[in-house]
Amino acid sequence: MKRMTGILRLVVPRLLSVALMMFLVSVLVFAALRLLPIDPIGAALPPGATEAERQLIMKEFGLDRPIVEQYVMWASNLTQGRLGMSINLRTDVGAPLAAAIPATLELVMAALAVGITLGVGGGLALFAVRGTAMEPLGNVVTSILASIPDFVWAIFGILSMGVWWRALPFIGRIDSGLVVHEVTGFMLIDTLVAGQWDSFANALLHLVLPATALGLAFAPMVTRILRSSLLTVILEDFIHFARLRGVSEREVLLKHALRNAALPTLSLIGVQAGFMFGGTLLVEAIFGWPGLGSLMVTAARGGDMPMIQGAALVYCLGVLLINLIVDMASLALNPRLRKS
Amino acid sequence: MSEDILVRPAIETPADAPLAVPARGPKLPLEGWIGAILVATLVLVALLAPWIAPAPPNDMDLLALLQWPSWSGEPPLHLMGTDHLGRDILSRLMWGARIACVVAFLAALGAAIFGTILGVIAGTMGGRVDWVISRMVELWMSFPPVVLSLLLMVALGTGVGNVIFAIVLVDWTRFCRVVRSEVLVIRTQNYVAAAQLMGFGHLRIMWREVMPGVMPTLITLMAMEMGIAVRVEAVLSFVGMSVAADVATWGQMIADARANMTEMPWAMLAPVLAIVVTVIGFNLLGDGLRRRLDPRLLARGDTT
Repeated sequence: MKRMTGILRLVVPRLLSVALMMFLVSVLVFAALRLLPIDPIGAALPPGATEAERQLIMKEFGLDRPIVEQYVMWASNLTQGRLGMSINLRTDVGAPLAAAIPATLELVMAALAVGITLGVGGGLALFAVRGTAMEPLGNVVTSILASIPDFVWAIFGILSMGVWWRALPFIGRIDSGLVVHEVTGFMLIDTLVAGQWDSFANALLHLVLPATALGLAFAPMVTRILRSSLLTVILEDFIHFARLRGVSEREVLLKHALRNAALPTLSLIGVQAGFMFGGTLLVEAIFGWPGLGSLMVTAARGGDMPMIQGAALVYCLGVLLINLIVDMASLALNPRLRKS
Repeated sequence: MSEDILVRPAIETPADAPLAVPARGPKLPLEGWIGAILVATLVLVALLAPWIAPAPPNDMDLLALLQWPSWSGEPPLHLMGTDHLGRDILSRLMWGARIACVVAFLAALGAAIFGTILGVIAGTMGGRVDWVISRMVELWMSFPPVVLSLLLMVALGTGVGNVIFAIVLVDWTRFCRVVRSEVLVIRTQNYVAAAQLMGFGHLRIMWREVMPGVMPTLITLMAMEMGIAVRVEAVLSFVGMSVAADVATWGQMIADARANMTEMPWAMLAPVLAIVVTVIGFNLLGDGLRRRLDPRLLARGDTT
């Protein structure tokens, strides 16, 4: 019981702060698109519409009311799951957004797996060559790799693996001929549950290039922070004593140093994963990946305000939730953080 | 005997050698120089583009569509080939460098000024003001930067000025956070206390005592921010939300080249390489400046 209240005392304030942030985000999204000098219904009007027709549509969308009232209307609809009518799709924004979320999440998770694997491997390798002639070289290479943005990896990937060698597919989530019975919206899970091995393999191949592009852009940051935390941790007394106890160097690294260096790495991964979630936007647009990013880019080109607002809100919710999860994971792993 | 201890042995200097000026720290490290050279080249190309570009950026050579780079043969030569409209890729790269430079410098400057002012205010005023500014930064951080900049571009409309404005509005938080925490540390230093005891005014202390301490970090951050700005501009051009479609930018070139990617991958690769080299240049310069200027890194002897 006491344990429960202790956990609640840690969790509840964080949930409240996510809720508060979400409220402020909604205000900001609303304000950005309504206070700035743009015509909110320009795209909804048929060409050559008269002023009276214009007024009618303004009224229909509630745009003739005061701005605060408009916000309250919009926000109360939001809480009931109505994000507004898409101007271009002529349906509620919610359904296409909900359909796009699993696609983006699948991409983010695959990219995280690639990025963390490469990043931790790189960090260990850089740590292993510390003090040798290889070290400065490794640092410069990491610096350069860190400068290459995800969309550039995406284009390199498409040009080399897709166009040159024709080894990997680079459009969409799965070949258009394959029919997948959607249950969860996650391609890999849906095909696996249905036992469609061919489709599973096909979906996995489609995931390789976009996930690698995002992962490669993500890995150097993990490498850097892991290396520098390892360099700090290795000087600690407990490492010294572990060595004195006769623990092998390999075991010192993997059992003692890595565990303690994992915490700062984890919190950085949290922050960066939030950014990567945003990075999917462009990578999705490049690969024609039917996720949130493609939806938002299309909406931005078409001036579809409700869709842009909806997508932006989902992105922010995603970032806040990722941060919350990482925050919780750090608390679970590090008892020292639980005080105060 | 005591003299021998106190007086250091004179360093033997050849009579004609210039007096050695004691360096404040190690020189700009190698990667800093590489970065500086790359950035200088970019600026030079951008400034001279109207004179050194072989052709105007939108001139179409309809007899030479989708050409690979060619270095010999009938003029007009296209040293780096042409795109699907027969426009000279080298010329477009050079004109694109102008937009990249303008966006990089102005956006980084704007974000630095805006972020620093808020950071200094938060750091010195403390209390409620600090709380409000810190929550604002937190709010901004819950937006993925690409999403926020796209949102702003939809709201502001396209154009170079708006791209710069959007980047400033998105990236001021990077400066605000760092400057605020720097100011919090510097404020407790003895030399600041001494200045306060001498009765210097608030603004003077900020400007003369605190700002010099923040400068190294600020310069480094600005170099990094320029790389980020180039990237963001390319991303926005790529999705068609940056400048008008007839302005040559690197992102626009990538977007244009997509349709003919299979026949002519070079048209896509060329602007991608330009972006990569530019971002690497700014980042290496930033890294180098950080190692050269940051007193804490120097004190620790840590050069990473």
